[in-house]
Amino acid sequence: MNTKPDTTRGTHLRVDCTADADGRIVFDLPSTATDGPPSPQLLLRLRPKKGQPEKTVHVLDLEPAHDGRLLAVLEPQPALTEGRWDLYLLPEPGAPRRRLRPGLRDLRALVDGRLRDRPSPVAVRVPYVTKDGYLAVRAWLRTAHAEVEGIDVTDRSMTVRARLHGASLAEGAAVRLRLRGGDGTVRNPELRGGSDGRAFSFVVDYPDLVADDATRPGVWDVSVRTRSDGGPAPIRLGRLLDDVADRKEIFVYPTAVVGTAVVRPYYTVDNDLSVEVTRV
Amino acid sequence: MKISFLLHNAYGIGGTITTTFNLAQALAERHEVEIVSVLRHREHPNFALDPRVALRPLVDLRHEKEHPLHRRPAKVFPTAEYRYGQYSELTDRRIGECLAATDADVVIGTRPGLNVHLALQAPEHVVRIGQEHLTLDNHPPRLRTTLRRAYRRLDVLTTVTEADAAAYRRKMRLPGVRVEALPNSVPDPVLPAADGTAKVVVAAGRLVPVKRYDLLIEAFAPVAAAHPDWQLRIYGKGEEQARLRQLIQRLGLSEHALLMGAAAPMEAEWVKGSIAACASNFEPFGMTIVEAMRCGLPVVSTDCPHGPGEIIEDGVDGRLVPVGDPDALGSALLDLVRDDERRRRMGRTAMENARRFAPAPVVQQAERLIDEARSPRGTGRALPPEGGRIQRALVSQGFAARDAAYAVASGALRTVRRGRR
Repeated sequence: MNTKPDTTRGTHLRVDCTADADGRIVFDLPSTATDGPPSPQLLLRLRPKKGQPEKTVHVLDLEPAHDGRLLAVLEPQPALTEGRWDLYLLPEPGAPRRRLRPGLRDLRALVDGRLRDRPSPVAVRVPYVTKDGYLAVRAWLRTAHAEVEGIDVTDRSMTVRARLHGASLAEGAAVRLRLRGGDGTVRNPELRGGSDGRAFSFVVDYPDLVADDATRPGVWDVSVRTRSDGGPAPIRLGRLLDDVADRKEIFVYPTAVVGTAVVRPYYTVDNDLSVEVTRV
Repeated sequence: MKISFLLHNAYGIGGTITTTFNLAQALAERHEVEIVSVLRHREHPNFALDPRVALRPLVDLRHEKEHPLHRRPAKVFPTAEYRYGQYSELTDRRIGECLAATDADVVIGTRPGLNVHLALQAPEHVVRIGQEHLTLDNHPPRLRTTLRRAYRRLDVLTTVTEADAAAYRRKMRLPGVRVEALPNSVPDPVLPAADGTAKVVVAAGRLVPVKRYDLLIEAFAPVAAAHPDWQLRIYGKGEEQARLRQLIQRLGLSEHALLMGAAAPMEAEWVKGSIAACASNFEPFGMTIVEAMRCGLPVVSTDCPHGPGEIIEDGVDGRLVPVGDPDALGSALLDLVRDDERRRRMGRTAMENARRFAPAPVVQQAERLIDEARSPRGTGRALPPEGGRIQRALVSQGFAARDAAYAVASGALRTVRRGRR
């Protein structure tokens, strides 16, 4: 909390932002960010895959606020496409865009986000700082979502508690762990549903994941089907509903040694839940 | 008036850097201010610096790491200083040249070795202010012996706590040197204060043993057991990371105690919490305690030397618990977790009480110190007060002798060890 955000060096233009519980984000720039009357704008760009052209952008007007700052509001609608959105300032029409650095990110409204039930589609946005120090917005957009609320790990199993958003459990609902690649090996640990049709839990016995071929390392992706086969696509389990954009290195679970394999649950770079099996 | 700060490395992260930036920026309202950074290893500082404050690096490690003079050991910078290994004949020379040519009226050193440079090399007309961000009692005896000699040539020596100022007055004879506590300042928060509803305990600092995050994690276990909806978030990075991760996993706290990585600035992270915690064995000041309080969080801290006890009023704006006692720390946290009303009340009081560490009052005190140090200089250095002078001299001589003996003994021990190899 040491110093005010630097507003002078063009290469280090900083923007504050405040997120609210509905998904709205207000961006707040010092007015010195632009000179003169032309109407400045904020550009959000969906980061394309390496080597691909950039296709999706979202432009917001920057409006002068009472204390001489410039505000841009990203409303909850329309939802952002899932991915990473980089932020730029468009000082005036035709001028080159300038990438923005983060100032203060007030995300306190997101911290207990898992307590609010979300309708379908589930749209989530978390402003974050990129590895190279710029401001970006991480967005998820899913028809439905299964939020992991807790994982208890032992040396033989893990117990996962989760909650559905934008969907509810029906007859024949099932948890599925699917081995990435290969022939689509799956496991179906027994699902225990709560009375509200949203909360559920299940136990994954680690020996079940290494039984087939203990020497084969692999990653099992975890999802849930809300009813018997033929219904909607499986819903991926993950943890999206708080202020943490990159969870992998923050929520880290113990590993267990099962025979000649090492097993651990982890969150992927997209904050989805998977179980990794490696050799001892 | 021109004021120049002499700082180890303005491009890193740490309490001394933060507080030096804060003070420099506040002084820049009325004075010409520069920060001289002995070292530089990257393009921009981690913390944004007010453009009115000039930043001048002396040795750029990106180009000069292999400079022949940088590979030769320092002679002016004291060998017993913690950072000695990062200094060299090159830093000796650049700092010396910088001081000899300075057009500043006041030069402020920010660590023991730089205070020694200042004492030995600043021109006579310059007011020399040495700042100690660590504590005398924690300095090794050899360093104390060096400082005892050099610090006599300072005009003012500031510590960050009253307790440390008292230690200098008692244990070092520094005639004519004014020794006074000047606390670190923390800027006025920009964001609305925490409202005390979030179920998050926040701690921040480098992950090093002295911070005792292991103790904090252990103390948090009963809190998480009784209140699984509460989270402990620890911000920072450092050598203890892997060990702390293991401890978290061993205690089954993977969901509850989170190592968040480094965050700068911390303000937006403090306001996500409603209690702050500090488990240190030793805090020369306790910058993060003040930061958290200014954001409206009551702080549960160990009552370690010297800072926390001078910042927190136990039971009023936070809690002070014995050092190294996980049960006491845990139950103090649990009390505040359980009592919403008390937590909020203490948070509001913390915000009020921490205003004394705002830049305005601290910079006023700094300006007064500078003015008073400048005024007697026309007529020669200020004389030390007479009362109790002999008694104090005898006491400080006793400490000097002891430090010298320790220094000799540890030197001899090193010689013996070397001989055995």
